[in-house]
Amino acid sequence: MTPKRKQRLMLVALMLVGVSVAVVFLLKAFNSNIMLFKSPSDIVAGDIQEGSRFRIGGMVVEGSVKRNDTDLSVEFQLTDTANKVPVTFTGILPDLFSEGQGIVAMGSLNNSGTFVASEVLAKHDENYMPPEVADALKKAGKMPGTSVNYGGSTVVQP
Amino acid sequence: MDSLPLSTGLLALFRSLLTRELAVAIRSPGQWLNPILFFIIVITLFPLGVGPGPNTLSIIAPGIIWVSALLSVMLSLQSLFYDDLHNGSLEQFVLSAQPLSVVVLAKVFAWWILGGLPLLLVSPLLAILMHLPASAIPVLVLSLLLGTLTLILVGAIGAALTATVGNGGGILMSLLVLPLTVPVLIFGSGAVQAAALQMPAGGHLSLLVALLALALSLAPVATAAALRVAVSAS
Amino acid sequence: MFKWIHRFGSSPFVYRTANWLAPVFGIGAAVCILVGLYLGLVVAPADYEQGDSYRIIFVHVPSAWMSMFVYMVMATSSAVFLIWRMKLADIVAWASAPIGASFTLIALLTGAFWGKPMWGTYWIWDARLTSELLLLFIYLGYMALRSSIEQPQTAARAAAILAVVGVVNIPIIHFSVEWWNTLHQPATITKLDKPSMHISMLRPLLLMVAGFQLLYFHQLMVRVKTGILQREARTAWVAELVADNRV
Repeated sequence: MTPKRKQRLMLVALMLVGVSVAVVFLLKAFNSNIMLFKSPSDIVAGDIQEGSRFRIGGMVVEGSVKRNDTDLSVEFQLTDTANKVPVTFTGILPDLFSEGQGIVAMGSLNNSGTFVASEVLAKHDENYMPPEVADALKKAGKMPGTSVNYGGSTVVQP
Repeated sequence: MDSLPLSTGLLALFRSLLTRELAVAIRSPGQWLNPILFFIIVITLFPLGVGPGPNTLSIIAPGIIWVSALLSVMLSLQSLFYDDLHNGSLEQFVLSAQPLSVVVLAKVFAWWILGGLPLLLVSPLLAILMHLPASAIPVLVLSLLLGTLTLILVGAIGAALTATVGNGGGILMSLLVLPLTVPVLIFGSGAVQAAALQMPAGGHLSLLVALLALALSLAPVATAAALRVAVSAS
Repeated sequence: MFKWIHRFGSSPFVYRTANWLAPVFGIGAAVCILVGLYLGLVVAPADYEQGDSYRIIFVHVPSAWMSMFVYMVMATSSAVFLIWRMKLADIVAWASAPIGASFTLIALLTGAFWGKPMWGTYWIWDARLTSELLLLFIYLGYMALRSSIEQPQTAARAAAILAVVGVVNIPIIHFSVEWWNTLHQPATITKLDKPSMHISMLRPLLLMVAGFQLLYFHQLMVRVKTGILQREARTAWVAELVADNRV
């Protein structure tokens, strides 16, 4: 083998090593969990400092939404099916905010244990259908999206 | 460098090129002093613009330090191949029997010692100025170590592509390269943010390692191809 | 075989083919888009949750899809140009860039208009919108690089390298933006299965996708003609065309 060939072969080998190292670390990253937001249970468990900013995620408890008649403030409760946390928010809620809907809010806890949100986010699901079909599906209990099991798990593997 | 015999190992080639680059750079201090000054000044501007509240600053600190590092690396990279192209040494590199991608790798590494390493060294100080929690500082330094090297590798492609563009080549280079550096910015500042919120940063850091490994193996080839185009044009 | 490749690569032949194909694609695009718009805006029912505002997907989704597709065409032809030095491949890449950038811009604007009723704001750093914005920057960088290198040969080769580098990078950018987005704007209800759509809405959407695809081919043919004329301005066959007033 000429030295030139040898060099080229070595470079290609090095490149392959580089790409495989990249793949190994990519897989490693996939296996490490990334926390997206705290759940109401985390808050009840008391591992969050009062006043520090964080994100909370959960489902709006049915029948818990109380809107104020004079201003834009809203109170509701968030649940992860195990525990509940009261949330207050002043401002315009997204269109898709409704009871039973999963939302994420950014804010901090006040001294009475209420989460004061500065931002509330809801995300539309990826189903498009006429209202009649939606009604029919709801009646049959086969509405996609609402059947998503929203357990205590707030860990997502991207 | 083209006088080196073919049998010279790649490592020896790399080492002699690195020594040359460092020797050249040490004689023009502006080359390595300006980026670090830029980095410090830009970060100082943010509290002046946003307000000195420690709460606000600590929230935005990871992003600001990372964006400033990104910009300072990009600004200094414009001239990576400019001198070599104009004094003819680049042509010699292209014509020599040595693999051009190893030449590129040596230049990139020299550039990192001059333009990236100083950023790492001052970053803990800036982190304290920005009220970043002390627990996040090791992650900040580690993420900058992995990230700046990747940034220079990717930026070198842009520097080689725009080497023949005279005036305005620098801003054009940033236009080309900045969108491509988004992943490094996301995982770099993400790691620091996670560490600041007392959450594990391991996932982000392994992604930075993956990006670095990928850039190390692919970017020099693209840079070498772009340099061949630049040399054939001039 | 070689004769055929030669013929295929010869400019007058490509010019004539493009000249013939342009109106064919144009008419096809017009029919698909008009029928698709009628079915989508008039015939299809409103959505159960989003009402009428969902109808913007009939423009948004096809243009977002095309913005990716055009980049793939651009990168593939750039690679062909770099490997085989085929002039036509470079013309296709050159011709595609502004078309792709326009589709990307349309996707961004319609995304913003959709965002207003859906999210309550014109812009949200949603993963798809953000990657789309970065894709627009990459298109613009490609065009900027091409226009700032004076020598056409150098410009073509440098731009081709950039396009190929971009195609390696785009999946990484897309993935990292997804990741970033899930960290910063978590979707609480992420469905793991595919988006589902009722047939009455799917039909016009598919028609619009086909229409946009044909629209791209139509635009591509028109621009390829221009590109060939520019590069061959000094040849006899172009002079003949001009003399006969057939350009």
